[in-house]
Amino acid sequence: MTELAKAWLNGQPVAPARAAAAAASLLAASRSAVLAGLGTDVAGARASVALARAIGASIDHMDAEAVFANLEVMRRAGWIVTTPLQTRARADVVLLVGDGLLEAWPDMAARLALSEAPRVTGGGRQVVHLCPGAELAESTATPRVMATPGPAIHVLPTVAAGKLVLPTLAALRAIVAGRNTSLDEAAAASLRNLAATLTAARFGVIVWSSATLDTLAVEMLCGLIDDLNRTTRFAGLPLAPANGAEAVTQTLTWTTGFPPRTGFAAPAPQHDPWRFDAGRLIASGEADAAVWISAFSPKPPDWEPTIALVPAGTAFPTPPQVVFEVGCPGRDHDAMLFDPALGGIAFAAASTPSATASVAGVLAAITEALPPC
Amino acid sequence: MLTRLTGGRIVDPSNGRDDIGDLWLRDGRIVARPDGAQADETHDVTGCVVMAGGIDIHTHVAGTNVNTARLLLPELRAATAAESVPITETIGRLYAAMGYTMVVEPAISPHVAPQAHLELADIPLIDTAILAVLGNDDYLLRLMAANEGGAAVADYAARVLSGSRAIGIKAINPGAAAAFKSNMRSFGLDDAVPNSDITSRAIINTLQAATETLGLPHPLHLHCSNLGMPGNAETALATMDAAGDTRLHIAHLQFYAYGKEGKRGFSSAAPRLAEAVNAKRNITADIGQVMFGQTVTISSDVLRQFNARGSARPRKSVIIDGDGNGGGIVPYRYRKTDFFNAVQWAAGLELFLLINDPWRVFFTTDHPNGAPFTAYPDLLALLMDRSVRAQHMETLPREAMEVTTLASITREYTLPEIAIMTRAAPARLLGLADRGHLGTGARADVAVYRTQPDIAAMFRDAALVLKDGVPIIRDGVPVARPFGRGVTVRPEFDTAINRGLSDFYERVYGVSHAAFDVPGAEVLGRSQAFEAVPCRT
Ligand SMILES: [Zn+2]
Repeated sequence: MTELAKAWLNGQPVAPARAAAAAASLLAASRSAVLAGLGTDVAGARASVALARAIGASIDHMDAEAVFANLEVMRRAGWIVTTPLQTRARADVVLLVGDGLLEAWPDMAARLALSEAPRVTGGGRQVVHLCPGAELAESTATPRVMATPGPAIHVLPTVAAGKLVLPTLAALRAIVAGRNTSLDEAAAASLRNLAATLTAARFGVIVWSSATLDTLAVEMLCGLIDDLNRTTRFAGLPLAPANGAEAVTQTLTWTTGFPPRTGFAAPAPQHDPWRFDAGRLIASGEADAAVWISAFSPKPPDWEPTIALVPAGTAFPTPPQVVFEVGCPGRDHDAMLFDPALGGIAFAAASTPSATASVAGVLAAITEALPPC
Repeated sequence: MLTRLTGGRIVDPSNGRDDIGDLWLRDGRIVARPDGAQADETHDVTGCVVMAGGIDIHTHVAGTNVNTARLLLPELRAATAAESVPITETIGRLYAAMGYTMVVEPAISPHVAPQAHLELADIPLIDTAILAVLGNDDYLLRLMAANEGGAAVADYAARVLSGSRAIGIKAINPGAAAAFKSNMRSFGLDDAVPNSDITSRAIINTLQAATETLGLPHPLHLHCSNLGMPGNAETALATMDAAGDTRLHIAHLQFYAYGKEGKRGFSSAAPRLAEAVNAKRNITADIGQVMFGQTVTISSDVLRQFNARGSARPRKSVIIDGDGNGGGIVPYRYRKTDFFNAVQWAAGLELFLLINDPWRVFFTTDHPNGAPFTAYPDLLALLMDRSVRAQHMETLPREAMEVTTLASITREYTLPEIAIMTRAAPARLLGLADRGHLGTGARADVAVYRTQPDIAAMFRDAALVLKDGVPIIRDGVPVARPFGRGVTVRPEFDTAINRGLSDFYERVYGVSHAAFDVPGAEVLGRSQAFEAVPCRT
């Protein structure tokens, strides 16, 4: 940690080393601690694992629900996916599904060049947004799917009763597979047009955000992609959850074998999405100390952390006993981060370098200050 | 610090040495016996065999495909997948325990090189390197379609090697991944990528030429087309012919050693392939031996993996239409009772035993595709003791053994041959002048094995392993936890290639080509700088 790092103990500013020592003794005295939030970069994820191992804590990520909406499908049945670059360069049909796409990736339309033709394969590109929500409020009331290539995104609202996404996706999959649906004729007709577009695609891509779709919807989409691959090529492009979840999940996986919601109390790490849900551990009182790590967002959790690593401006209803101010990865300091435009982990040089501490630096200082066991 | 290993049998084929004697190490290097000097540390290795540290040229230990396999198979961790897709810490520990001090991850698409290097940086104890995969990437195909010429391809390949910090070039079913995106479901040596006249053969020759132009120490490393298919020995033979007189390394040759003989239309064609390798001095091959048990296949041959989805056990798989190759993760169980698996097992052993030059055949299971690398000690026992082979053959389907020649082969590998195949030859193939041998000036990466009747036990838990002169393993257990180096090549190239690349990436992908570059060692979390292997001049 640099000299300029800022830290507070019981609301009073203190030297960072003193705060690290206080955090270490709180954690050493705890029976069962949890590292939560985990909004950080690869280095921060590595340091989180090191600290969790040292004190037998468990690890969770604040967007774990979105991680598991995808991961539960992938590890139960597998999937076929592609990258943003291949989507941009090759996809002649792009099917956007559900809400929250632009929240998950504000630059999505420009980065995927949705209004342009695919450059590698040539020809046109059709883009359909199925079951959109508020982000496309200007959407046409009349659902339509244009048969000719064009720059616009064609919007197809939920057609099933109750405006539910899952029955709409189930009906679409049934139609693509040549099965009957329980939809009325008008609703079925619009989906039949879409099904024809999908089956005529040469390299189609389905884009979704698991922050807004649940596991059942993701499973339905992956099943649809499987079905389409019997005759043509189709792949999914699941948008990464927020707060660095993708790079953190990858890092935890190569270092521990498991995604978030993993515990280190036993000699071998244990993974259980229910048991190691930080919110549950804290609400039930099973965890008696909680570290909140959130380098990307000043939004506090809805529970009271013991120790927090947060950006300036984070306002807690009740201040944690120890607070460290941390910088934003890729802005205040160099970082390895998942980049949605690249579709992978890449180097992000600090855009406005500052002396603010990194999550990795603070966690290493806490780990170092732990009493020898 | 002067260290002496005394009383061991020193097996160092590069320097023509096989005798009982002393080995002296100082400051991380092998030194000549110093006159009158006293060792600061002496290890009595009487009754042991002393070799250079092992080098694995082809093992899938890092990158997005490997990590996807970890995510896909949490339930297998309690059984064997902890070995099929171990975490970084375990990879280093298990390799070092077997006396290995360097491994090469052979299948990293340049766009995912940063993650691969982050994973490798977390592997303790051993040195690591990657091969960068080309041959299905849009930019190479564009250069070839536009007849931009060999110099442009070489400059591009050099730019990729430098950006991805790789030690060599790999091609994986070249053209097939691009063709699969256009819905081709099979792709052979003379098939063309759709909307072009670019064949797999042409891509292979183009990348071979780039490798030679740049003077890369490692030849083009090739995963051929038609992997796993009955009769695909013809593909491997045609590919060896296609190589001309230029160097070519064929990966996991066992997976191409199949004929169509016998009642079930599947047989071993290993003798024919071995004969061809023996006759062609420009060809090297690693085997990709199959061993029985649960594993997971991790391959950037996305077309093959897509077609293999039906064989997934457990029944799930991941297919990635990635940039360049992408890949597929298909869990699989090799069963002793399965006719096809038994033929595969036998064909791999036939290749090992019938290729007569240990400098040109490399010891791999294509971890974890044929078996996890933890099966190496058992495989060494099969190669060094024909009675162990005979015992195994008795437990396998007789009709499978009837379509191979394995039972008729009496050869047993000697210790010097093992030292060549697992140390000296890999170092030479990768251009690592100071590894793979125990001559003066070599890096003090040393493995000591206690001689015993159980060959597998001997090689599973090394008695002593030193990395850069420091003891890291005793009796199979880590006694220190230093981190090794990343090893790369840095061929020179005309930076004018950056203009074309930059324009193509901005226009086609909307991102900078430099965004995928692997940062320096410190950013990756490495404690030591990358080591560059010189190119041939
Ligand atoms: Zn391989």
